[in-house]
Amino acid sequence: MGDIVVFGGSSHPELVNMICENLGVPSSRVDLSKFSNGETNVQIGESVREKDVYLIQSGCGHVNDNFMELLIMISACKSASASRITAVMPYFCYSRQPDIPFTSKGAPLITKANKNSNIEGDILSPAPSALMTQRPGSMSPFKVADEEVRTSTNQTLKKSVSASRIPIVSSKKDPKGTEANEAFNAQNAGYKLWVAQSGTLIANLLTAAGADHVITMDLHDPQFPGFFNIPVDNLYCRPLVQNYIQHHIPDYKDAVIVSPDAGGAKRATAIADSLELSFALIHKERRSQLLKGPPDATLTSGGGLNVSTTPLISNLNSTEITNSPSKYIQTTMLVGDVRNKVCIIVDDLVDTSYTVTRAAKLLKDQGASKVYAIVTHGIFSGDALARIAQSEIDQFVISNTVPQDETISALGKDKVGIMDVSRVIGEAIRRIHNGESISMLFEHGW
Amino acid sequence: MPNNSIKLLAPDVHRGLAELVSKRLGTHLTSSKLERDPTGEVTFSIGESVRGQDIFIITQIGAGDVNDRVLELLIMINASKTASAKRITAVIPNFPYARQDRKDKSRAPITAKLMADMLTTAGCDHVITMELHASQIQGFFDVPLDNLYAEPSVVRYIRENVNFNDAIIISPDAGGAKRAATLADRLDLNFALIHKERARANEVSRMVLVGDVRDKVCIIVDDMADTCGTLAKAADVLLENKARSVIAIVTHGILSGNAIKNINNSKLDRVVCTNTVPFESKMKLCPKLDVIDISGVLAESIRRLHNGESISYLFKHYPL
Repeated sequence: MGDIVVFGGSSHPELVNMICENLGVPSSRVDLSKFSNGETNVQIGESVREKDVYLIQSGCGHVNDNFMELLIMISACKSASASRITAVMPYFCYSRQPDIPFTSKGAPLITKANKNSNIEGDILSPAPSALMTQRPGSMSPFKVADEEVRTSTNQTLKKSVSASRIPIVSSKKDPKGTEANEAFNAQNAGYKLWVAQSGTLIANLLTAAGADHVITMDLHDPQFPGFFNIPVDNLYCRPLVQNYIQHHIPDYKDAVIVSPDAGGAKRATAIADSLELSFALIHKERRSQLLKGPPDATLTSGGGLNVSTTPLISNLNSTEITNSPSKYIQTTMLVGDVRNKVCIIVDDLVDTSYTVTRAAKLLKDQGASKVYAIVTHGIFSGDALARIAQSEIDQFVISNTVPQDETISALGKDKVGIMDVSRVIGEAIRRIHNGESISMLFEHGW
Repeated sequence: MPNNSIKLLAPDVHRGLAELVSKRLGTHLTSSKLERDPTGEVTFSIGESVRGQDIFIITQIGAGDVNDRVLELLIMINASKTASAKRITAVIPNFPYARQDRKDKSRAPITAKLMADMLTTAGCDHVITMELHASQIQGFFDVPLDNLYAEPSVVRYIRENVNFNDAIIISPDAGGAKRAATLADRLDLNFALIHKERARANEVSRMVLVGDVRDKVCIIVDDMADTCGTLAKAADVLLENKARSVIAIVTHGILSGNAIKNINNSKLDRVVCTNTVPFESKMKLCPKLDVIDISGVLAESIRRLHNGESISYLFKHYPL
């Protein structure tokens, strides 16, 4: 490992040390500080002339500061004649935009209830009446939903709904500029606005600063590398997830892999297939009208997949979103059989944790015996950790692409499992430095 | 709606300057929304169509969360670009990272150049700044950069607010001598210079005054005041040399760290800054602060840029 130099940013020093240990190379000295006016100051402490430079910075903590720090480090190495600069970003910031706007508390803006309601209570424990399971001969869930909406609009307003990627701005009362806000809402409610797409921008900024190569892990969008004009190696956490399931989950052979939304179905099926497990899917749906009739064939599923033949549909939290111009109904349904089974929710990212906690609740209500959640990137913003602590999740497994000390202290050691990504990233750096193939890491992990 | 009209955009914080400019231009700020998600990432959306329009993004970058402001600016530029704006001009009166403009140590980053590259990469077509720390930074850009001067505004302020018949212009260091000298010429005043003697690095420097300030009102002129330590020391030196009173006029009042304490404890009568940097909140803490409004210069330069007129008039004259 001759001319390799590894620098760590200030976001995740622990991971940097672990990666360096795996590489057998000490991390090089870099002084990171801030000027008194808030500008970032970087001083590279070792010569990098004609060296192969790796800069490790995760997109967590104070994202913008850390990202600027990375850009300045890249630029400093470039102007100090480094032969190649590789940005290693275990969690890639700004990789999932545009998304639902959030409030400062971490709730999707769209769900913001009126001020008097106890938001937290609603989120942490959805009203039991809102949760319905269709049993043979019972009333159609949609009919119930319809009635519920009609009779108690006030209550449904309070319930949390998560919408898809349409940034409708809610009627939340902003202390500053309320009027302007409302005018803005009235003008734009329901439209896809002129929203910034930061993906290309972030890619171009990295290239402009002088990065020659990017290593990252489990990108939210598989299209993301296409924004770059330089090679992007997207490592997968999947081998680690499989490894964890096989070694740490008792009786995993009877478990069901669950994807908490339709977007993650591919990720979950890949794991289910390679472990020869069955698979279930939770689907969030927004319908433009209230459905009156019984659920038709499109709402049932099970054919083709390795699940039981009895159709099992459940309907959770049918809620009307009243602040949008047309009426939407939100349904969450489980496709697949989880009764008396161990469920493993697999996702790439947990932020507000609404998706995963709601999924766990639904699974437990459907008779799942135990619920695990395995997620690659744990950002845990707002009161996400408190929500998870109170949720039905029995064990939360997370990788260390982002520092997880807080998670462990909030949930307790028994409830958290950590997957170590430093070996995969370290091995990728070694292989890239030596010009070897890294595709083996995609399948087998390390 | 007429095509190719001026659209003014501003982030959701520090909108003061942008609002002043929009008032002077007789227009309003385009409605837009900047959201920070809990992880700190920024989402930006523009509330109306900007296709084919001439966009000006006015941002005030002060002390503190510089990087947040920079990323917000870049995202706003990029959003306008992808919304098919005809031309995007970033109005950054206080250009961030302007002091990191050279490789003064081994492997030091030239962050000003990085800023220039990032702005062009995001899709910026034109940049307006004010009183760049080093005018050579213009050469870092591949797009045109108009560097405005605060001097006409400062001249006006001195004429209106200072008894300038027995005043003298002071440069607090050798680097600012040229700026101080031209201002002294404009006002037909004398000029003196404070020279910092630095025996060795990291040693407390000794200040030497070059020129006569006896019984004069001293006006210290500089482009930037950060912690204000130099200004306070300069005031001491001037008063030791029998100056009657000392005021300081700086273009960019960043006022970070202990600046307010330093000013309050110093012998300065007044510290005057332009509003390129938001410091309204600090004015309450420090009665010695005063402000020069430069929104007129910015508004006029935006109007002239939009109409394709010459801007150089503004280098010498204050707009009406």
